[in-house]
Formats: sequence, C-alpha cells, structure tokens
Amino acid sequence: MERDLRQISLAQGTVIYEPGATLDTIYFPQGGLISLLVVTKEGGSIETATVGREGAVGLHAAIGRRRSFTLATTQIAGRFSIIRAARFEQIAADSRAVRELIARYTELLWAEAQQAAACNAVHDAASRLCRWLLQCADRIGSETVPLTQEFLAQMLGVRRTTVTLLAQTMQKKGLIKYSRGHIAILDRAAISACACECYHVLHADRLPAAIGISLEAHSGGGKTNGRV
Amino acid sequence: MYYFHLRDTDTVIDSEGTELANETAARDHAAGVARELTFKSVGMMQRQWSDWTLSVHDDKGAELFSFALSEYETGGK
Repeated sequence: MERDLRQISLAQGTVIYEPGATLDTIYFPQGGLISLLVVTKEGGSIETATVGREGAVGLHAAIGRRRSFTLATTQIAGRFSIIRAARFEQIAADSRAVRELIARYTELLWAEAQQAAACNAVHDAASRLCRWLLQCADRIGSETVPLTQEFLAQMLGVRRTTVTLLAQTMQKKGLIKYSRGHIAILDRAAISACACECYHVLHADRLPAAIGISLEAHSGGGKTNGRV
Repeated sequence: MYYFHLRDTDTVIDSEGTELANETAARDHAAGVARELTFKSVGMMQRQWSDWTLSVHDDKGAELFSFALSEYETGGK
C-alpha cells in the first residue's frame, strides 16, 4: 500500500469531510490529529472521537461507497498520508490482514464514540479537559499540544471562557503551562488523576489491548496532586 | 469586551475576555459559564462552589456584577 500513499500537510481547522460527504480519500495522521464532530443546528459543535497516528479517517470506505456521518476537521496541524478510497477498497479486497485491521480499528472508534457520548453527559468540564489533553498528547506523541483555547472549547462543547478559567486553574496548580496557542503538560500524573475514567478506559488500559490496537502513551513523572 | 473572573480566597483571572454586545449578553454568557463549570462538579481547587464568586468586569476593569457559583450548581457528584 505504501506506494499508493501520498504525503500532505494540513493546517489546523481544515475541513476534511462535511457531514454527508462521500468518503473518497482515506486520511492517516502521521503527526497531526483529526476530530470527528457533531454539529448542532445552532452552529455549536462537540467532539465525539479523535483520530491520531493510531488510526485513520474514512477506513470503512474499504467496503464500498460510504458517507461521513460527522464533520471531520484537522484539530492539530501536521503531516498526513492519504490514499484514494477506490484504491484502498481494492487493497482491502485482496488482504485479509487489512480487512481485519479495519474491523478492529472501526470497533475501537465506535467504542470511543459511545464513551464520548457518556462522558459528555455525565462528566464535568474539568475532568473532560484533563482527559482530552492526555488523549491528544498520546496521539500526537508530544507533551505540548498546539491548540488555542477557542479550539479546545469547540472540542469540549463549552464556552471559551470556561476553558480559560479551567486552564488558568490548572496552570496555578502547576499541571500545565499555557502560552498563546500551546498547552504544555507539566504534571502528567496529576492530570491523569483529574481526568475522567474515560481516558483510562479508552487509552491507558482496557479497550485498546482487548481489540489489539496500540495507543502509545507517554510516561510522565512529577508530583501527584488533587483535583482541579 | 467583558472579563469573567473567579474569586474566593484565590482569584482565577480571565485574561482573554470575550466580545459581547452589551451587559445583558454578558449576564447570559456568565450564566452559561457558571452552568458549564458547575455541571456534575462540586467545586474547584478543593473548595465547594458555594465559596466561589463569578465576577464580571468591563474592559476598564470595573466590576459590573457578580454572583455565587452555587446559584448555578447542577447535578453535583
């Protein structure tokens, strides 16, 4: 498949798929991150899943012409490998291993979306913010997440002011350092303690291993502190 | 521009501010922020929401209004 892949760079906020669009290209993040968002009729949005270097967007196009259910945008800019869906469908038809990997990853993404639905309904904004920061850091392979508070608010489905106040609180406690457009994780252990259980379900332990997909996590030291 | 700060014995500053049409919009925005902060949460920095006040300022730093976060507490853990 490697000879069929093309490398591109995408800026933050690039719309990859609008809801309802035909999936004609598969996107494999190499250093960037893609968000799958549900958009309300008022124009608000909330993230239901993220796709980093562990996965791809549009994989189910391998089983025929498919449409995107969500808005897919580049959450974090970076490099992406892409392949035409029609070619990918041919490759998948010829390879059981590829079909198996698609099935497993789709299972993980489905589980993540279900978990996100529960998370948004029952977990507080501070816990969700902590989860989201760790999730992003894991998926881009860096403890510095290049995101504005405005974008973060969009991902969490809250007002930017709410993110500012929570981020300031975390900064006062030494958990993060925020400078324009970048959030650096300073105390991963403390953030992990503040994160909702969804981070541990989806990323740190149970589900990825059960499905057979690796989500590399950074180890981190530092003091352990209380909640945000 | 309006600024939304949190206060009790600590102060959490909204350094960014938000462009809003008028004070009524600022009140609506403040109420929304309060609901988001308190949703499924009992407090912040190991202190109950009843100890915290949301204080709204104009771009000259003058306080326009404030209220206790506990007024908006919803479904705490």
